[in-house]
Amino acid sequence: MAFSGNYMCTSFKKELLFGVHDFANGADTFKLAMYTNSASFDAATTAYTATNEVSGTGYSAGGGSLTNVDPSVPSGTTAITDFQDLTFSTATVTARGALIYNSTPNTTSISVTDPTVIVLDFGGDKTSTAGDFTIVFPTPDATNAIIRIA
Amino acid sequence: MISTEALQAAPEFNVQVETVSHRGFTPEEIAERCVNKIISVSDSAHPAIREQANAFRKQLVTLVAFYIREGIKSDRTTIYNELCNAGQPKLAELIRRL
Repeated sequence: MAFSGNYMCTSFKKELLFGVHDFANGADTFKLAMYTNSASFDAATTAYTATNEVSGTGYSAGGGSLTNVDPSVPSGTTAITDFQDLTFSTATVTARGALIYNSTPNTTSISVTDPTVIVLDFGGDKTSTAGDFTIVFPTPDATNAIIRIA
Repeated sequence: MISTEALQAAPEFNVQVETVSHRGFTPEEIAERCVNKIISVSDSAHPAIREQANAFRKQLVTLVAFYIREGIKSDRTTIYNELCNAGQPKLAELIRRL
């Protein structure tokens, strides 16, 4: 039981085709929840869970809300979307990885609750003590953006 | 022939985690992050162009850090006045002296 890498969830790919997720700024609420290394997530992960979620000062169950950046085509034929960096301020917490999930999905076509988008493996335990804990998203271009359709 | 298109997540470790303990991030640390979003310099770029881009990047970090500090100072002025108005002059003075 441990994190084993970054994954785009397979269920998310299907949900895109059902129109479950809207990444426009101000549209669906995407959240980032953090976990200890007791969590075991991979591409088959389908929904947010509170099991093995971290706890500590400055962190609430369910995680932090992300700020969506409107999807775009920065160059060529690759479409991307991005999130602003997320900071848990004055936090005392240790996390090994995270889930990004949609807490307000469109369930018109299929029934989902808190469906996951991506599994993030931090590569090791990351700790802040009475300090800032920031998740820095990659440069939002065609080769680095967190979510891209090439 | 129809080519297969890929839906893919960013490669391993492109998402980074930055933490600090017993303090917040400095304006320079935040400015670095900001500039990394604005400009990226390819390792494969011509050396002269890479050098020029890195010099520009360095200038940008200094500039962004300056304006972050300006924002912090201005916010402290706002907090100072809010605390004064709330009848907390000593606390306000502590904030002003930070």
